[in-house]
Amino acid sequence: MATRETEISIVRAPRTSRWFVLQHRLAPYLFVSPFLILFATFGVYPIVKSLLLSFYVTNGPKSAVFVGLQNFAFLFSDPDFHKAVWNTAVFAFWSVFLQLPMSLGLALLLNSLWVKGRELLRLAFFSPNLLGQVFVGVLFSVLFIPQYGLVNRFLHFIAGIPTDTKWLSNPDLVMPALVLTSLWMYVGFNMVYFLAALQAVDKDLYEAATVDGANAWHQFWAVTLPGIKPVAVFVLVMSTIGSFQLFELPWIMLNNSAGPDQAGLTIVMYLYQTGFVTGDLGYASTVGWTLALGVLIISLFQMRVTGAWKGGAD
Amino acid sequence: MRFPYGPAALSMLVLSILSGLWLAFNPARRPQATLVMWTFAKTHYDAYKQAIPAFEAKHPGVKIDLQLVSWQAVTSRLQAAFLSDLDVPDLVEVEISAAGSFFRGPLKDVGFLDLTDRIKQSGLYDRMVQARFAPYTSRGRIFGLPHDVHPVMLAYRRDLFEQLGIDPNKIKTWDDFIAVGRKVTIPGKRYMLELPDSESSRFEPLLYQRGGGLFDPQGNCIMDNEIAVQTMLFYVPLVAGPNRIASDLGGGQIFTKAVEDGYFLCMIAPDWRSKTIEVDVPKMRGKMALMPLPAVYPGGRRTSTWGGTMIGITKHCKNPDLAWEFALHLYLNKEDLAQRFRDTNILPALKEAWDHPAYSEPRPYWSNQPLGKLYAELAPHVPFQYTSPFVATAKGKLSEALVACVQYYKTHGDRGFEEFVRKRLKQSADEVRRLMRRNPY
Repeated sequence: MATRETEISIVRAPRTSRWFVLQHRLAPYLFVSPFLILFATFGVYPIVKSLLLSFYVTNGPKSAVFVGLQNFAFLFSDPDFHKAVWNTAVFAFWSVFLQLPMSLGLALLLNSLWVKGRELLRLAFFSPNLLGQVFVGVLFSVLFIPQYGLVNRFLHFIAGIPTDTKWLSNPDLVMPALVLTSLWMYVGFNMVYFLAALQAVDKDLYEAATVDGANAWHQFWAVTLPGIKPVAVFVLVMSTIGSFQLFELPWIMLNNSAGPDQAGLTIVMYLYQTGFVTGDLGYASTVGWTLALGVLIISLFQMRVTGAWKGGAD
Repeated sequence: MRFPYGPAALSMLVLSILSGLWLAFNPARRPQATLVMWTFAKTHYDAYKQAIPAFEAKHPGVKIDLQLVSWQAVTSRLQAAFLSDLDVPDLVEVEISAAGSFFRGPLKDVGFLDLTDRIKQSGLYDRMVQARFAPYTSRGRIFGLPHDVHPVMLAYRRDLFEQLGIDPNKIKTWDDFIAVGRKVTIPGKRYMLELPDSESSRFEPLLYQRGGGLFDPQGNCIMDNEIAVQTMLFYVPLVAGPNRIASDLGGGQIFTKAVEDGYFLCMIAPDWRSKTIEVDVPKMRGKMALMPLPAVYPGGRRTSTWGGTMIGITKHCKNPDLAWEFALHLYLNKEDLAQRFRDTNILPALKEAWDHPAYSEPRPYWSNQPLGKLYAELAPHVPFQYTSPFVATAKGKLSEALVACVQYYKTHGDRGFEEFVRKRLKQSADEVRRLMRRNPY
């Protein structure tokens, strides 16, 4: 409609005016120019600069020596990077295979008409996401405190687990603690996506399936899952990307460190430490670009496996 | 005349023009200060705020802008400021574990002014505890003036020691300490000492006490030498295995509760931590006391060091002489230092300052012990702590080795432990050396 009005106004304007022709040509560029300037300054330039930096060894901000692909060669034999990749992958695995089914389960539950107080429960499950990761990190670092922490007290009460269990200083328990925290934070968030998708599934399909004799399980597989597939793929890809960007939560929970035996070291944390603690921005850029390429490949793989290339829901 | 793209686009255009004009006519106020200084410690900030008026009165027209930057942020903010050449302060206080990372690259590219000549010509090198210049020295050049000495003592629950019949004067060596500790430790309820098994912050002072370290004066990584191996063999059985006498719960409120409950009887306590304990565990006033660190062998060193701060002048400073004068004003004024000691318990690096009566005052919290005198007596024996641009990495690798050794000891006990410790420390040290070899400078 707006386009139509614009066309009419253009037709009515004096076509012979040079000023009109000039401003008509330039106006769109003028309007997009603020975005383009900002994007070029704060988006394109840092991206290009970091790509160039990834071919340098930098010692501090002022000294850089070109080393070609040596940073990438070093990266693939760097045990710290291996550890960071492993930790991040483990976290991402649990995010996908634990968090998403739980989110979907909750969404199915809260989409059922027989559940009382659904609106309140939806708000309750979503509300952890209203808090920032830093706040949640501080909160859970207190909950996981040995001897006096609520988690240990509770586990001691129900299962006799020792109260001095050190969740955040035992390398074997750091990742479970991080996964538990992220579950609390993100299950409700992803539930909202699934809820929206569930509510968009055509109700007639359920009626038709019921007429055909399909039970609830068959309906879930044959109607619900295909119906929510585009959203499920979106949530899967976004959760994976989010997991690979994990930084604040372990950084805060582990007291600004990678934790015992680097059990909480993630790729982004390693990037930060390399760039701003060790001062090698070149190598940090290499880590960053490797992460970006890795996430791109994994996302493309997920989209291919789930059939998202073919048009999602179909 | 109608705007051809509609009212929405027109309002955006008008808004952007108006806001642009407003910004053009109201530019951000340029800093008026002559010198800008960053510090990361609130206690330092409060003390320096009091010291600034005297300096400004002595230098008419000079204005000091003191900024408190969080400890976590100061390193990254300073790195970013150096990188962008924007908002670089004139003076900065840097924490000891971060200082080394600023000495990377060729000496000419270090962001701090080389203070070696100023320090030596002014006689400060002899007037201050020399060991404290080591962490701020790279390739023989000194880039920072030490703020403190941070000698280490043991803080203990005097009341519980008395109840349990422990005489601190009879504890001369770590062997004595361990023998007592095994008698009074009740696993899960009471431990002789607070020591972590998952990071190396308290392992390092014990390593320094033995004359070891992460790096030698030339910057070579030595964290797998014989001293480090022996320290690890000593440390791990303290925190793991059936005869452990040490544990750790964390900081903050949990530490407060643990000390109040008598969960820990002793804590490693450099001067700054004695203040932390005073503040965090106020109920223990009059029930705490300090004793020198047990020696490794009879007659050995009874202290170590933990933590530290330097003040450096950046190369962006337009008036380095004035900045130097200000640094001296903060770090050498005996009256100010005495007051700062009363407020923070931190012993200054300037040796002549320790004669002030403030350092002999009895402290009620510490069972009326003369806190300053106790720390000052140990200060000349504080070990050297050499650094490297790779110090942060080395600390991380040492922590990893500690965790691995603790895990091994928990599973296998003494069997093959020494061999494992040697192998694991070498692995960590080799990883640091591998990173150092990448350094093309």
